[in-house]
Amino acid sequence: MRRYGPASLLILCGVALLRIALFSELYLRYVKPGLRPFLIASGVLLISLGIVGVVAAFRSSGGSGAENDHEHHGAGSDDRHRGEVSGHGHDHSRGPRVAWLLAAPALALLFFPPPALGSYSAEREAAQYAAQGIGTFPALPDEDPVDLTLGEFTSRAMYDSGATMKGRTLRMTGFVTRDGDTWYLTRLLISCCAADARPNKIEIRGADAPATDAWVTVTGTWHPEGELGSDEAWPPVLDATSVKHVKQPENPYEKL
Amino acid sequence: MASQGSNERARNLAGGARVAVRALVSVVVGGLSLITILTVGSVLGPMLAMDLYTPAVAAWWTVFTAVVVQGMPFLLLGTLMSAAIGAFVPERVFRRLLPRSPALAVPVAGAAGAVLPGCECASVPVADSLMRRGVAPAAALAFLLSAPAINPVVLVATSIAFPGSPAMVAGRLIASLATAVIMGWLWVRFGREEWLPRRARTATKAPTSGGRWRDFRAGFQHDFLHAGGFLVVGAAAAAMFNIAVPRSVLDAFTGSPWMSVLLLAVLAVVLCVCSEADAFVAASLSGFSPTAQLAFMVVGPMVDLKLIALQAGTFGKAFAVRFSSVTWAVAVVSSVLVGWWLL
Repeated sequence: MRRYGPASLLILCGVALLRIALFSELYLRYVKPGLRPFLIASGVLLISLGIVGVVAAFRSSGGSGAENDHEHHGAGSDDRHRGEVSGHGHDHSRGPRVAWLLAAPALALLFFPPPALGSYSAEREAAQYAAQGIGTFPALPDEDPVDLTLGEFTSRAMYDSGATMKGRTLRMTGFVTRDGDTWYLTRLLISCCAADARPNKIEIRGADAPATDAWVTVTGTWHPEGELGSDEAWPPVLDATSVKHVKQPENPYEKL
Repeated sequence: MASQGSNERARNLAGGARVAVRALVSVVVGGLSLITILTVGSVLGPMLAMDLYTPAVAAWWTVFTAVVVQGMPFLLLGTLMSAAIGAFVPERVFRRLLPRSPALAVPVAGAAGAVLPGCECASVPVADSLMRRGVAPAAALAFLLSAPAINPVVLVATSIAFPGSPAMVAGRLIASLATAVIMGWLWVRFGREEWLPRRARTATKAPTSGGRWRDFRAGFQHDFLHAGGFLVVGAAAAAMFNIAVPRSVLDAFTGSPWMSVLLLAVLAVVLCVCSEADAFVAASLSGFSPTAQLAFMVVGPMVDLKLIALQAGTFGKAFAVRFSSVTWAVAVVSSVLVGWWLL
């Protein structure tokens, strides 16, 4: 275990990365889509370096076994002693003990991938909207209904002097959060990883609240309220005509 | 004679009986307690697990995993680079590139941080291997601080997060570089060798018989696993604060400009947002003054829980505590000054 441990730990981490980034879309629960190639490259690299490490450990097990064992006893907790001491790098084969902590997230990703953040995180953080100037926005595409992200809806509702959304049928997907009797269509926004998630929310009127955390697609029209850019205009309101339950999207977050 | 023999047999019998009874008792007691434990465990275990698996725990688990997953490619890049420096780049290269005097080498190394396109996880192992290659600790530390803060990826992200305010990008560049260089100079003047572990200041000898590739692989494996373990520690702490500190608490402090600078500087330490993403988080803290946002972005890549854990693992606890606390103070002062000048 000691001899093959460090190298197998590398392989374990690599396999975990490939499982979430190459063989599934699970990585989208944790990081932004742009990181995928890096995660896959890291997974491949870790696995190959781990295999080389296992082979190296297997080869060295013939000759220098006794010497290695001796070192294991003597070195104690001091994993700072490095190649400089022996000049041969024998003690590299004995991995630092703290490294075993890496097994926790790796095994979790393999067997029990943590869920995407949901209403708990969205409600804990005071939702805020990015401050931006009032101005004109490009016209919406000619579809009916128009699919929008919650972020786009919020900025148009708050800052669009041309009121491009007026009279249009809009469609958005998110999960449900509630505050007393009002309910919100909510989506978390991440710019790098789930640690920086911030909620975007839209008040939904004219439809009964589904269960908290349920994923729904809401179709409806914008309900202007308050002056542009003022606090009364936030959160923006949508008059719903239909609320449909959907599966959680592959990417549960919106990108900034 | 006969009585002695029967006596002995009786004693043997009694001894045997005692052993048998003892064995029986221990089997029964042990078995019963085992059955009890298994039953209680199998009944209560899932119930307890369900109870403990609250939304808060689930969110902690997700944020923890996210920080580790996100840091992994950068840590890998950093350790590959550091292992490559250790195995392939001879010491004289650095001796030629950097000015002889540490006081001059510090600004050069600080500016060189601009070329490492990664976040803070990558810079710790690289700085470590620079020291092992005989680069003056002061210069390596300036590089350690500046690399995650002033590289092009981070500056571009900052300009996207603060559209229409190039002063913020310039402020970040200047304040971060100033902090890194000042910390390097402070180390030249006040730094003590014994704060760093022995191996960090002994220059490595030329690679030995095993060959450079073997040194590279062994060095990589050790550095990655070592730093990875500490990344996990830091991620756990970061997730804890991420879940425990509601961001609405911050609204109470937005009134006072001084408090808000200090508050965001502390927040940068506990949230451990990656330096490539912290600009977006800073921009979202729209209730705060630009100077406070700048302090958040200057402190974040230089001092945070994840980094303190990584540094403690790489350079030792004595170093990490002193270095991080002084860096924090210098970063706050320089962002206040730069904010007052530019923003």
